Amino acid sequence: MKPLLVLLALLPLGLAYYKLESAIDPIKMLYNYTGIGAITLLLLSLLPSTCKRICGVNFLRYRKTIGLLSFAYALLHVSVFVVLDSELDFVTIFEKSLKKPFIYIGLIAFVILLLMALTSFKKLFAKLSKYHKAVYIALALALLHSFWAQKVAGVFEYSVIAVGVVLLGERVWAWKALHVKTF
Amino acid sequence: MHITPEALFEARRHFLKLGAGTLVSSTAISQLLANTPLDMSLTYTPDPNPLKLSPNTFEQITNYVNFYEFSTDKTAPVKLSQKMKTDPWSVGFFGEMKTEQMLRVDELIAKFGLEERIYRFRCVEGWSMVVPWIGFPLYKLLDYLEPNSKAKYVKFTTRHDPALFPDQAKGIFASIPHPYVEGLRMDEARHPLTFIAVGMYGKRLLPQNGAPIRLVVPWKYGFKSIKSLDLIECVESEPLNTWQAIDAKEYGFYANVNPAVDHPRWTQSKERLLGKLTKQATLPFNGYEKEVASLYSGIDLRKFF
Repeated sequence: MKPLLVLLALLPLGLAYYKLESAIDPIKMLYNYTGIGAITLLLLSLLPSTCKRICGVNFLRYRKTIGLLSFAYALLHVSVFVVLDSELDFVTIFEKSLKKPFIYIGLIAFVILLLMALTSFKKLFAKLSKYHKAVYIALALALLHSFWAQKVAGVFEYSVIAVGVVLLGERVWAWKALHVKTF
Repeated sequence: MHITPEALFEARRHFLKLGAGTLVSSTAISQLLANTPLDMSLTYTPDPNPLKLSPNTFEQITNYVNFYEFSTDKTAPVKLSQKMKTDPWSVGFFGEMKTEQMLRVDELIAKFGLEERIYRFRCVEGWSMVVPWIGFPLYKLLDYLEPNSKAKYVKFTTRHDPALFPDQAKGIFASIPHPYVEGLRMDEARHPLTFIAVGMYGKRLLPQNGAPIRLVVPWKYGFKSIKSLDLIECVESEPLNTWQAIDAKEYGFYANVNPAVDHPRWTQSKERLLGKLTKQATLPFNGYEKEVASLYSGIDLRKFF
C-alpha cells in the first residue's frame, strides 16, 4: 500500500515535468505544483487521526509516509525559491527572508517540517513525538503563507483554510470532550 | 463556413452608411451590424522596433492574463470570455472637455489611424512579457477631445455589465470592487508612449486581453493598463484607482515600474519573462527611463509608488 501511496502522491511532479517545456510562466508553475502539493499532503496527514476518532477506521500507519511526502514537496518548493527564483544569490535570499513576512512565515513552516522529518525515525520519534504537535503551527503558517503569496486569495487559498479550520476544530472539540467536564 | 470577402464586406458597410439608415430603424441596423462577422485583421503602420525587443508568442500573450472581471486565475478568463460580445462597442468621453460624446471603436480607429507599438509589459506580480500592440497614442484622442483648464487627470473605467463579466455579478463575493477604475496625471496621459490598444499581433484584441479597447502604459505596472474601456473622463482631482482602494499600503496611484522599490510582500528587482526558466533584471520605468523620468523629477518615488 505504501509504495502505491508514494507513487500516487508523486504523480503531480511527473505532470509538472511534462508541462515544464511549454509552460508560460514555468517558475510560477513549479511554485504552484510544489506548494499546493505540500499543503494538500500536510492536510491529508491530519486525516488518519480524525478518521480514527470519527469513523473508527485506523489509517495511522500511513501518517508518517504522508507527512514525509509533504516535506518532500516543501523541500522542492524551497528549492524553486533558492535555485530558480533567487538564482542562488544568497545575499538576496537572506535579505528577502528577513524582510518579507510571507517568505519568513513560509520558511519557519519549512524548518518545522524539516525538524519533524529528521526526528520521524523510530528511535528519535519515541523520544520526540510529543513535539510533533508542532505540525499545527507549521500548517497554520503554511496556510498564511499561501494566502499572502497571492495578489488576491482565490478558491484554493480559501478552501485549504476552510479544511484546515475543520480539521483543527475537530481536534479542539475532541480534546475538550476528554478534558473538560460538562454538567 | 462562408466568409465575406473583405471588399464586399466594406461595400456592405458603405451601403449601410449611405442610405439604409434612412429606411430602417436604428435598432435593426445595429442588429445587422452585430450579426456581420467582425473583420479581425487590422491595417497599421509597423513598429520599426529600435530597441530590438522580441515579442512573446501570440499563444503566450493570449493564454496568461489577469482579468478579474472573469476570474483571478491566469488561464480561466480565456474560456470564460470567448462569448463576450465586443462589437458594436462605444466608449463615453465625459468631464472637463470641450464636447462630451460617445464614439464607437470603429469610429476611433477611422479618426486616429492605427500603428504598432512593441512594448515591454511588467506585471506587479513579478512576471513580464513583450507585446506587439496595435492602436493609437492617447494624446491624439485627447487633442481631439480638447480637455479644458480644469482637466488635471484622466480617469478610466472598465465597462460594468454583469452579463459580460461574471465576477461583476457576484455582489459582495466579487474578487475586487467593480467597475475597475484607473487614472493618469494629464501629462502622463499625453505622453507619446501612452497608448490605446485595439489590437495585437495584427488582429483585433481577443476578449481575454481586454477587447475591444484598452489602455497600455508601458512604464507602469500592468494593472494601470485597464481593459475593456467604457469611460474616459477628464477630471480635476486624482482618481482613486481600484488597487489603491483595495490596499493603499501595497498599491499606489503612480505604480511606476521600479526595481528599487519593493512591493511590501515581494521584491521587484527581477522579473520572470514569460516562457523563460531564468529571471532577468527589472529596469527603472520598465526600460523607458530616458523617455519618462522627467515626468517625475522632484518626486519621491518611494513615497509616491
